[in-house]
Amino acid sequence: MIDKEEIRKIAILSKLFVAEEEMDQLTEDMARIISFADTINQASEEGTEFDNINNLSNVFREDEVVPSYERERILQNAKDSDEGCFLVKNIMR
Amino acid sequence: MSESMIRKLHTMLTGKQISCKELTQTYIAAAERDNAALNAYVTLTPEAALTAAEAVDRKMAAGEAIGLLEGIPMTLKDNISTEHIRTTCCSKILEDYVPIYDATVWKLLKAQNAVLLGKTNMDEFAMGSSCETSYFGGAKNPHNIGHVAGGSSGGVASAVGGHIAAYGLGSDTGGSIRQPAAFCGIVGLKPTYGAVSRYGLIAYASSFDQIGPVTTTVEDTAIVYDAISAYDPMDSTSQGRKGNPVCDSLKNDIKGMKIGMADEYLDGVREDVRAAVEKAAEVYRSLGAEIVHFKLPALQYALPVYYILACAEASSNLGRYDGIRYGYKADNYADVNDMIKKTRSTGFGDEVKKRILLGTYVLSAGYYDAYYKKAQNLRGTIVKAFRTAFESCDVILAPTVPMTAFENGRAVSDPVETYLTDICTVPVNICGLPAVSVPCGFGQDGLPIGMQIIGNSFEEAKVLNAAWQYEQAAPDSYHPADFGVKL
Repeated sequence: MIDKEEIRKIAILSKLFVAEEEMDQLTEDMARIISFADTINQASEEGTEFDNINNLSNVFREDEVVPSYERERILQNAKDSDEGCFLVKNIMR
Repeated sequence: MSESMIRKLHTMLTGKQISCKELTQTYIAAAERDNAALNAYVTLTPEAALTAAEAVDRKMAAGEAIGLLEGIPMTLKDNISTEHIRTTCCSKILEDYVPIYDATVWKLLKAQNAVLLGKTNMDEFAMGSSCETSYFGGAKNPHNIGHVAGGSSGGVASAVGGHIAAYGLGSDTGGSIRQPAAFCGIVGLKPTYGAVSRYGLIAYASSFDQIGPVTTTVEDTAIVYDAISAYDPMDSTSQGRKGNPVCDSLKNDIKGMKIGMADEYLDGVREDVRAAVEKAAEVYRSLGAEIVHFKLPALQYALPVYYILACAEASSNLGRYDGIRYGYKADNYADVNDMIKKTRSTGFGDEVKKRILLGTYVLSAGYYDAYYKKAQNLRGTIVKAFRTAFESCDVILAPTVPMTAFENGRAVSDPVETYLTDICTVPVNICGLPAVSVPCGFGQDGLPIGMQIIGNSFEEAKVLNAAWQYEQAAPDSYHPADFGVKL
C-alpha cells in the first residue's frame, strides 16, 4: 500500500511539491486509486502482446528544410526572454 | 430532432432569409446572454466571428456559391490550438497562452469559412467527467443547470445543447465527447484513432486522444466528420478517412444489419438507462436489424487499464509545463528546479496533479511491470476481444453512461466512484474504435439518456448509418433545451 514516503518520492520525480497539510488526503486518494488499479493483477491471464492500434507503423519523411515559426513569435509566450533566448536562472554554478 | 442544424442554417443563408452577419450576431447575443447560466464559453471572439461572417456575406453578394459549413457559427473545445486566440486547456498553467499556429482541424474548418464564436470550457487538461476540474468553474447542463454538462468536453456540449453554437469540436480520450453529449441530449462522435489529425490538440494521453464533432443531429455529425477526417503529415498517427464521405451512406437500409449487445455493458447500469437502451434495441429490430447477444468479459479490465495507461502518458506529456517556454511561471524561487516545481504545483489543479503522480508511480522502477506493462498487455486482450466481436456483428449497441448527468459538485467528492462512471466509454479509446453517442430518451429525473453505437476501425459510415436510422425512427428521444438561439 502506498505511504507518505512513497508519495514524497514520486512527487520529486514529477517535479511537484506536496504540502504537508495535503498529504493525508492525497495518500488516502492515491491508495484508493492504486488499489483500484491493482484489480488488473487479479487477471488470471497474462494478456496479449500489445503493439499499437489500427496497424500504425513509423512514418518518415525526407530530411528537408521547411519553413518554421519565427523566433520572436515563439518567445512571446515565454515570461522571460533575452537576446532571442528563453531566460532562466543559472543552471550551473 | 431529425433536421440537420447545419443544413437548416445553410438554407437560410442561401435563401437570403438572413445574412451571415445577422446570423452570427444572433448567436453572439445568445451566447453572451446565456453563458451566465451555462458557463459554456471561456473565451468569446465576437470581432473575429463578425469579420469571418462579413467575408461570407461578400462572397454571396458576389454571386458565388457557398459550401455547407460556410458561415455556420461554431465553437472549439479550449484544448484545440487557435492562432491569435488564447487556448487555456482550462488550466491556470495555460491561462494566457496564445498559440502561434492553428490545429489542423481548425485549419480545415477555417478554410471552409467556418465562423468561430469562441472557445469552450472543459475539465482541466481534459481530466474529468463533470467539467468541474476546469480552472474557470464547470459548464452547466442546458436541460437543468443544477446538473453538470459532463466532461471533459462539457463546454462544447453545453453550448451545442444550449443552442449557443450550431456545432462544435471536442476531444475524447476516455469518453470526453460522448459522455457530455449524452448528458446534454445531443450527438457526439469519437472517431477511429487516426481518422482525425491531432496536430494542435494539446495532449493528454496521446494513444487515446481523438478530436470529433459535437452536434444536435447525426447528419450534422456526419457533415463535420467528413470535413475534418483528412490525412495530415503533421500527425504521425494520422490515416484520414477510409472510403467515401460518410454522408453518402447515412440513409442506407439497415435491414439485416447485425447489432451486438454485450451483457457486461448493461451490468450495473441504472434501470431507466438500461430500459432506454433495450427499447432502442426494439426500434432496431423493427427496422429489420438483428440483435446479437454476446459476452465481452475483457471489459472488466477496461477501467483500470485505461486509468493506468492514460495517466502514464499524461505524466510524460505534461512534463513540458515548466514555466520556461510558455504559460504561467511562479514568482519567488531559489533556482531553476525550484521554479519548475513551484510553477507546476501552483499552476496545475488537484486532479491533474493526482493523475501525474499516478502516472509517475506506475512508470517508476519496481512498479512498471505490475502496472504499466500488465495494463499494456491487457490492452491487447481487450483489442482482441473487440476484434472477435466484430466477426459476428456489424456494430455494438451500449449505454454511453450508466446514469444521467450528476448534480453539480457530486463528481468531485470520491475519485474512484467518478472514474467508475466512465466504464462504458473507455473501451472504445483503448481499442481506437469509432463510437457515436445519440440521445435515446429521458431518465426518471427528466435528464437525457445517451446510447453508443460502436463500430470497427474506420467504419464510421456504418456507425452513423445505424445512428441516423434510429434517430429517424425514434424522434421522441430528443427535445431541445430551452436556451440559446430559437430558429
